[in-house]
Amino acid sequence: MSDRINRRDFLKISSAAAASGAAVMTGCATAGGGMETAATVGFKADLPRAKGPRLVVVGGGTSGLTIAKYAKKEYPKFDVVLVEKRDMYSSCFSSNLWYAGVINLEFLADHSFLDAARNNRYTYFNATVTGLDRTGRKLVTSEGEIDYDFLVLAPGISYDYARIGVKDVEAITALRTDYPPGFISPTEHVTIRRKVQEFESGVFVQCVPSGNYRCLPAPYERACMIASVFKKNKIKGKVLLLDANPDITIKAKGFHAAFNELYKDIVEYKPSTEIKSVDLEKKLLKTDFESYQFDDAAIYPGVRASTLIEELGLVDPKSPQKEARIDVLKYNVIGDERVYVTGDSRPHPYSKSANTSNTEGKYVAKVLAARAQGKDISWYSPRTVCFSMVSASPMEGIGVDAGYVLNAAGNAIAGFSPDTKLFEDRDEAKGKSTLEWARGLYRDMFEA
Amino acid sequence: MDRRGFVKLCAGSTAWLAASMHDARASGYTDFPKVRLTDPQGAPLRASTLAKDEAYVFHFPFRSLPCFLIDLGKPASGPQELTSESGSYTWPGGVGKDKSLVAYVAVCTHQLSYTASDGSQIRYAAGTSALAGRPGTIVCCAHASVFDPAKGAQREHGEARNPLLSVRLEYEPEEDSLYATGLAGTELVERFFKTYRRELIAEYGPGVYREPVGAAAAAVLLSKYASSVSDC
Repeated sequence: MSDRINRRDFLKISSAAAASGAAVMTGCATAGGGMETAATVGFKADLPRAKGPRLVVVGGGTSGLTIAKYAKKEYPKFDVVLVEKRDMYSSCFSSNLWYAGVINLEFLADHSFLDAARNNRYTYFNATVTGLDRTGRKLVTSEGEIDYDFLVLAPGISYDYARIGVKDVEAITALRTDYPPGFISPTEHVTIRRKVQEFESGVFVQCVPSGNYRCLPAPYERACMIASVFKKNKIKGKVLLLDANPDITIKAKGFHAAFNELYKDIVEYKPSTEIKSVDLEKKLLKTDFESYQFDDAAIYPGVRASTLIEELGLVDPKSPQKEARIDVLKYNVIGDERVYVTGDSRPHPYSKSANTSNTEGKYVAKVLAARAQGKDISWYSPRTVCFSMVSASPMEGIGVDAGYVLNAAGNAIAGFSPDTKLFEDRDEAKGKSTLEWARGLYRDMFEA
Repeated sequence: MDRRGFVKLCAGSTAWLAASMHDARASGYTDFPKVRLTDPQGAPLRASTLAKDEAYVFHFPFRSLPCFLIDLGKPASGPQELTSESGSYTWPGGVGKDKSLVAYVAVCTHQLSYTASDGSQIRYAAGTSALAGRPGTIVCCAHASVFDPAKGAQREHGEARNPLLSVRLEYEPEEDSLYATGLAGTELVERFFKTYRRELIAEYGPGVYREPVGAAAAAVLLSKYASSVSDC
């Protein structure tokens, strides 16, 4: 049976955006945009001459890959260049499943940027962005400068360790190296998988931050996957889920049922537990009132927009997660309809999920195509369809299908759409849908 | 086009598909050699004996392309002007004594989830569907798309932008038999072959997956064809 998702659930998700005030979310296109960098490397990128209006997309994650493909489809005259600093793809979504052996690394990584570019008639350019000259419409990269007519920045997230009271750069480095959160780079996934496989006994902590963090259900799903491994291998271990939020932020009923019915003696869930400091030497996570000892951990601090957004002078100073100051309906930088920010660097209270970025990307592609031809389109909602695996063996999942609505004034996201549904009775069918959901996204991004 | 020409062109060649796409733009449907639908034992399928609570799976016009045959139990009226990724076409409505028989390619037009023997995310939900919220839809559980088979499988909910690809049926009242004779375009088929080439080669053999299905195609209940069927 499906359940409706209510406004209280939406507000849980949007708490970070809501806390920053409505100003972030208004669609008022006021002039000005803060500082901009005008770095130069003094040479042009080694790219073929643009054969049409050049659209440069920065970031080869779900948002960037989707926009590169669909902008070209919507307006074939675009000359699209995807700038991505990685030379190998591996998805963050579905990575939890690897820890429990539900999938292998090939599932996550057997997808080529080159094939995506060839299949969808754009250019993949392996480089790191180092600067931006919006006046001259020039993107500066480690491999040279690229002139653009339109620019999309989809650089994802960065971690914000200050949110768990860690500001010392040595401590941050140690945390990132020794207890990676696993929500940005594939190398974190490799480390976490090793930790799970090598865990012999004790307490494994999984943190859940406050705010609109990347992939709301993922920490809970990961707890289920790790617990599945402990259960199957009879490991004398516990998964301690320290959640800064007052309750599970999404699919709460389904996850609570899994914790209580499948992992009663393994998963311990602690809501309203906000980490305020970390003692790495003693392996302690501290709140205002308690200390939690761990043997190993995936310490997920707060999330902010990618530091690239800040480096390029595009942050909204009122955004607690340092997200971009963009038009909420059209995604362009306020006052600049040539530069857009999409994906998890956006300030919208949408779930920061792959499906959201994929469906949003198709809409933004239409916006770009329209504006390149002097037109515009009306807003429509992205869609958050998402499955979570709560049992590895047998494979069982739960799901959600959510849309979003605007407020009465039409200038801010007000909540979930009335057709939003939860599917929280776990079963094998949804477990299979969990895998097919991911395969569909890979097909959509990498195939024609 | 005679059958020999069809077979020659299908064997790994895209020339026939390219020609077919021109035909699709001109007529709305691409013609294929007529294929009689049979029961699993090979006897001609009797339309009046079809179950109404589940779809049947048959392959047409290629050995690897799954299609749904559905008896909606009520008339599906046409014609309706629809658009696929290949262009505009006129969906004729249901066929059969009660105009209740329809057929569609069982490949979701959103992100190409399809009905395979090792599982199907897509099904005809004659009864309740938690996703659709009403009976009588085709649902794809992978990304929550819902289609209306009584209206040419137009998209009713979710991210799919095109109807499921329509299969043109012909009904022979004297025999109570059914034939598949065309598709509303072939671009989806090309994408299906390209996207799943590795899997189809592994399952059918190189080139075999693109072979024409022949003069007859067996229609099997989905629950018997696929080892698991998602039931959103």
